[in-house]
Amino acid sequence: MPAPAREILALASRRRARATLVNVWATWCVPCREEFPLLLRLAREYEPRGLELLLVSADFDDRLPAVRRFLAAQGVTDTSYLKAEDDMSFIDALSPRWSGALPATFVYDGAGRQIAFWEGKADEARLRKSLEEALAKRSSMEDSSP
Amino acid sequence: MSSIRLLIPLFVAIATSTAAADDPTPKTLGLGDLAPMRQVSLKNVDGRQITIAEAAGKKGTLIVFSCNHCPWVKMWQKRIARIGNAAIGQGVGVIAINSNDPSEFPEDGFDEMKVRAKQLGLRFPYVVDETSEVARAFGAARTPEAFLFDAEGKLVYHGTIDDNARDGRAVKQPWLKQAVEALAAGRAVPTAETKALGCSIKLREKTAS
Repeated sequence: MPAPAREILALASRRRARATLVNVWATWCVPCREEFPLLLRLAREYEPRGLELLLVSADFDDRLPAVRRFLAAQGVTDTSYLKAEDDMSFIDALSPRWSGALPATFVYDGAGRQIAFWEGKADEARLRKSLEEALAKRSSMEDSSP
Repeated sequence: MSSIRLLIPLFVAIATSTAAADDPTPKTLGLGDLAPMRQVSLKNVDGRQITIAEAAGKKGTLIVFSCNHCPWVKMWQKRIARIGNAAIGQGVGVIAINSNDPSEFPEDGFDEMKVRAKQLGLRFPYVVDETSEVARAFGAARTPEAFLFDAEGKLVYHGTIDDNARDGRAVKQPWLKQAVEALAAGRAVPTAETKALGCSIKLREKTAS
């Protein structure tokens, strides 16, 4: 569903996640599909600690039915997103170091700082390490607040 | 049923506060860098061995990391063939390199490469990077990914093919074609760095030295 910029920005500013895991994928990307169950498992495991998972499909808009079918088959019920701008702007906005290879995964802490980024299929140990780091940053911020 | 929403502004909101990241992303060649591994022998689909140095043209060399299975490659492959074949006639050598591990995607095997090269009418080598070390040396991360070097061997263009993978007739920015033509004509490359989504290169495991 297309959404105006102000609505999305308002959504972003309302977020209260302690950490955010962003994954860019596509239905025709085999490693993307392969890593999906791991992402969902970790998202469920870390959700009580404040992790939010943002799934971003890089499919073309005419693939939307296939995107929906895949997400439904994976048991995804939360809102998912669809890339809706040219590749280069999209890639550089996420990370100038991202080549554009899929899948791509980005971990942010509660302040919106990018803690980790990598291209290609996610590795569980690396994901866990990044998520712990992101969550720890938020915790240390809370500990130091008056 | 999950709902799907457009996302861009959310990205902008997050990405503006990017900090240093801990990632294994390979360091990619920068503009002006020399082509690495020019003397490494690579197996071509014609059964012969060839090096990047041997594939070089008088005016420069176009290297495209490619493969068979990737949907993005499939969308661009006819354009890559046209640009590459034309480049040969303009004095720019061309070589397409498949660095993917075919155990991940059998479609990327050598026999399948031979078939694809014939189907596309490639007039340039399509070779196997049997250790994926060439991709590592270039810092190539996706397919297709193009590196264009001038006659001195310096990188003058790095990036994608054009701005519309899906529809060649709707291309507004034929970046790679423009870069090759500019190089061949002795002009500066108009847009030297571009990006697009693509398949991650399935590197082979490093072998113990």
